[in-house]
Amino acid sequence: MREGRQGLLAELERRGVTRREFIRFCGAMAAALGLPGGASAQIAGALRTAPKPTLVWLEFQDCAGNTESFLRASRPTVANLILDTISVDYHETIMAAPGTQAEEALARVVAESRGQYLAVVEGSIPLADGGVYCCIAGRTALDIAKRVCGGAAATIAVGTCATHGGIPGAAPNPTGAVGVGEAVPGLRNLINLTACPMNVENLTALIVYYLTFKQWPPLDAERRPLFAHGKLLHDACERRAHFNAGEFAEAWGDEGHCNGYCLFKMGCKGPVTFYNCPTIRWNEGTSWPVQCGHGCIGCAEPRFWDRMTPFYGHLPLTPGIGADIDRVGLAATGLVAAGFAVHGVTSYVKRAAERELPAEKSVPPPDRKGNGP
Amino acid sequence: MTHVVVDPITRIEGHLRIEAEVEGGRVRDAWSSAPMFRGIELVLQGRDPRDAWAFTQRICGVCTTVHAIASIRAVEAAIGAVPPPNARLLRNLVMATHCVQDHVIHFYHLHALDWVDLVSALSADPARAATLAQSISDWPLSSPKYFAGVRARLRALAESKQLGPFANAYWGHPAYRLPPEANLMAVAHYLEALDWQREFIRVHAILGGKNPHLQSFLVGGMATPVDPDRAASLNAGSIAAMRKLVASAREFVSKVYLPDLLAVAAAYLDWAGHGAGVGNYLVYGEYPEADGPNAPLYLPAGVIRGRDLSKVERPDPAKITEEVEHAWYAYPAGARALNPSEGVTRPVYSGPRPPYERLDTSAKYSWLKSPRYDGLPMEVGPLARVLVAYASRHEAVRKAVDGVLQRLKVGPEALFSTLGRTAARAVETLVLVDKMGEWVEALADAMARRDRRICDTARWDPASWPARASGAGFHEAPRGALGHWVRIEDRRIANYQCVVPTTWNAGPRDAAGHRGPYEEALVATPIADPARPLELLRTVHSFDPCLACGVHVVDARGRALGEALET
Amino acid sequence: MRPLRPIERSTELARVYVWEWPVRVAHWVIVGAILVLSATGYVVAHPPGRWAPLGTVKAVHSYAAIALTLAFASRVAWMFIGNRWAQWDQLLPVRRERWRGLGPTLEWYLFVLRKPPGYVGHNPLAGAIYTLVFLIELLMITTGFAMYSVSAPYWSPMHAFGFLGPLLGGLQTARWLHHAGMWLLLGFMVHHVYSAVLMSQVEANATMESIFSGYKFVPEEDVVSPRVRRATPPSP
Repeated sequence: MREGRQGLLAELERRGVTRREFIRFCGAMAAALGLPGGASAQIAGALRTAPKPTLVWLEFQDCAGNTESFLRASRPTVANLILDTISVDYHETIMAAPGTQAEEALARVVAESRGQYLAVVEGSIPLADGGVYCCIAGRTALDIAKRVCGGAAATIAVGTCATHGGIPGAAPNPTGAVGVGEAVPGLRNLINLTACPMNVENLTALIVYYLTFKQWPPLDAERRPLFAHGKLLHDACERRAHFNAGEFAEAWGDEGHCNGYCLFKMGCKGPVTFYNCPTIRWNEGTSWPVQCGHGCIGCAEPRFWDRMTPFYGHLPLTPGIGADIDRVGLAATGLVAAGFAVHGVTSYVKRAAERELPAEKSVPPPDRKGNGP
Repeated sequence: MTHVVVDPITRIEGHLRIEAEVEGGRVRDAWSSAPMFRGIELVLQGRDPRDAWAFTQRICGVCTTVHAIASIRAVEAAIGAVPPPNARLLRNLVMATHCVQDHVIHFYHLHALDWVDLVSALSADPARAATLAQSISDWPLSSPKYFAGVRARLRALAESKQLGPFANAYWGHPAYRLPPEANLMAVAHYLEALDWQREFIRVHAILGGKNPHLQSFLVGGMATPVDPDRAASLNAGSIAAMRKLVASAREFVSKVYLPDLLAVAAAYLDWAGHGAGVGNYLVYGEYPEADGPNAPLYLPAGVIRGRDLSKVERPDPAKITEEVEHAWYAYPAGARALNPSEGVTRPVYSGPRPPYERLDTSAKYSWLKSPRYDGLPMEVGPLARVLVAYASRHEAVRKAVDGVLQRLKVGPEALFSTLGRTAARAVETLVLVDKMGEWVEALADAMARRDRRICDTARWDPASWPARASGAGFHEAPRGALGHWVRIEDRRIANYQCVVPTTWNAGPRDAAGHRGPYEEALVATPIADPARPLELLRTVHSFDPCLACGVHVVDARGRALGEALET
Repeated sequence: MRPLRPIERSTELARVYVWEWPVRVAHWVIVGAILVLSATGYVVAHPPGRWAPLGTVKAVHSYAAIALTLAFASRVAWMFIGNRWAQWDQLLPVRRERWRGLGPTLEWYLFVLRKPPGYVGHNPLAGAIYTLVFLIELLMITTGFAMYSVSAPYWSPMHAFGFLGPLLGGLQTARWLHHAGMWLLLGFMVHHVYSAVLMSQVEANATMESIFSGYKFVPEEDVVSPRVRRATPPSP
């Protein structure tokens, strides 16, 4: 996005990408974004002339899972070139320069490309105790995020840690970890690519969308792009027909499990998770968790470590009691019913006993207010 | 004397800071510090032990299988679940795939640029590069045209003036010694390896649904059904796909990775004399070849002290302790070293207020504890595993190690070094890609017998567990010996502790003043230019640091964090 | 415990049309819907097998939910157009005399009083409890809409309720609330039926019959309450 940059297609051609591969890529991206057929021409047209954006990738309280996902960019193979055609000027895990030289590279982008570069954030930001739980080059994560994201054209938070605090932010949240949106409020163009980790195909699609339409895609209430998080996973699941038919895996390795029946009874969180896992899949479209036989753990949902656990149960545990709400409810309702039954029987018995006694005017007439003696 | 600070150390997982004193062109002393802390084990308390693997897995996205494996093993040990043979084979394949892929990524994408000068490759002659490549391996891509293409791509990158991740590095540093053609070959393979790792990791997608963060682990087994007659299970198609991927891995490792390693090592043989480290090695052993506790392991367990390869002890978990003399934690009064089964971790930050320039290394200076075995610092990882296997006369390892040593014309003592660490990783990769094929075939055989057991379902329901249980799970992660300790009360996690490879290697000094393995290995490293300490990176990277793994904590007493934060 | 038996009346009883037909219809539709919804909901959460195909069970659940929602909405509307015993202020204890009546009613239920405080419609305590019941039903409708909206057909206006999910803390939290709400409603139903039968006997005022017929028998002096906002309902 600096001046004098050659078009992306020119860059790709220099790298040996044929026009044909490029058009096929644009078609695949249009499909991933859920755009109509004609849009691929528009994407191709836009990418031909798009300037090469500068990107910095910040890592805070992270596990590098999103970085690993980034390294798996693969479908189609030219997507990877799109990614390395974005100039990744700072990324701790892959950059050659260390220490001072690395920090210089970051400082240069922030100073020279203000308002033009993209900031990708991986990992949560700890706010407790003055931010001492994550320091890079002697500065706190919050300090760095404010400085770098504050000057970015857009901030893309990748993975559930960066978007909503993720695992460091799970109860009891020992370090006061939060997502970027909460740590640095009011950021321009914050986009949350959730999931643990995010699927790189969605990052590619997001950046292509931006290069094509010069704007960011529509977002949901959690600031997640609708093309990736607009649909319930359960509704796109290949096992959905088995759910509708009442066919379930009941134990690991049983007949239903081998047959690919629905994993609902094994705790699958697909019915409460918004993600395109079943349609884009993972690792060159090879598989995804439900396909391989394990239920969804809802990793694309905010605070899933607290809200979606226990992973093998249908519902969260009842606060304060710790058991399944249906057991608690059944027990409580049963207790109420039993209590009334006891009450009904005893009062019936007493009344019957009283009837046998000689009549005795034991109750004086109450006064108007109903007060007894 | 110059005080050198490298923060962040890049091309590693996580956040690592190294401070060193350089005097007379050599490192006089060094300190390794981890400046990030998350508290995942604290998060684990009170949760369902069957969920723990998914939490601990997120300790690290690079080591994306290891904490899941250690966790399910710890819980299985506690509740008495025994995974069936299919689960053992699936896990062995998952672990070995990870180790092979991780070692290749480490060599090319995290470590190679310490030895390979990208800028020098721009001036290489493609024809001579092809001749060089063909002289060390019959890899089919090694043509002059191919190398010319790679050079053109590099030149395009250089002309764009936007070097991206390659910008601002130590290019042209006098410690780079490879000829331009070797640099070009290595850069070409850097790019190839990027494609290869993506393809190979599909084994994880087949067995775990996705990578990173595979999702098929279960306490008691694995979640991938095995049935040759069903489309929704692992079947003949999966076996065929894995056979092909494993074969291509064997091809890549033997025709690209190992020849490249030998070529680089031959040019830097003096590094067989640097970075020796503490000289004590700890290995838990890995790849069970039978079921149940105490099954024989393909790569053996062992402890080696003082570089003495004539004696290999059996490791005893009771001898493992952690100290916090130089770590930002507090122990109960009177406690100096605690076994992880009774570990206490109470974070008390006492370092400088950020932003800061220097750490006070005479006091506490890291979020890593100092693990010790029998009071000694231990190096863990591929070198430790290869040494223990070598000393235990493991046939395949001996053959591979001797092959490498003969090609480089050095003796086994060369292994105790920065170069030895890097070479051991390649040796292990070679041994594992050979072994993986056997496990794929064993799985195919089990399928043919219609053995569909994948999980010990008798122990799945928590009602079948004892009210109180505790267990430990051990695993050889790519980066070394990993242990998880879990205590379960009323079917919930009461306490959780991990002692992680990078904690062993990158931990700070202990109370007795023993340096940690990184620190010890850095001492006496030559530094040509303190402003560009390339040599320091070589040794640190040879350990393959993974800091997200290293910094873990559980507060066994459940105290609030930071309550005693000093200001 | 004092033996329960019909109280003795010192005055004549009047037959009063208390529950108009919309109130009774809404009541019974809600009862039926809750039973169907609970049964189908339980089956969806704990699928028993092929004989209960969840596609169909969920469809039945959705239709019952529509019935519940319409009945709930019409009953709420009737709070503003119905007779004085159907009015909203019979539920929410906002007026001073209703507020003050809470104590004596509780005492009556705890058998401290020998005669119930005179109320023709809901007594203040029952009214307050029914407010809670209405709120739980509202919670059920809200959480249900949140879960339904996300997989409604593309043309469905139900998509407009998609915003509810994040507000409720995600669908998994909504799900939990939906279950908890069901048990509260079932628990209430057990209590409601039992106490209706019991009090109908003790107060001897045809409470039980009134939800079918609409008529109650009440002491004459109770019919004219201190604040008559509309015409006194027809008495026989």
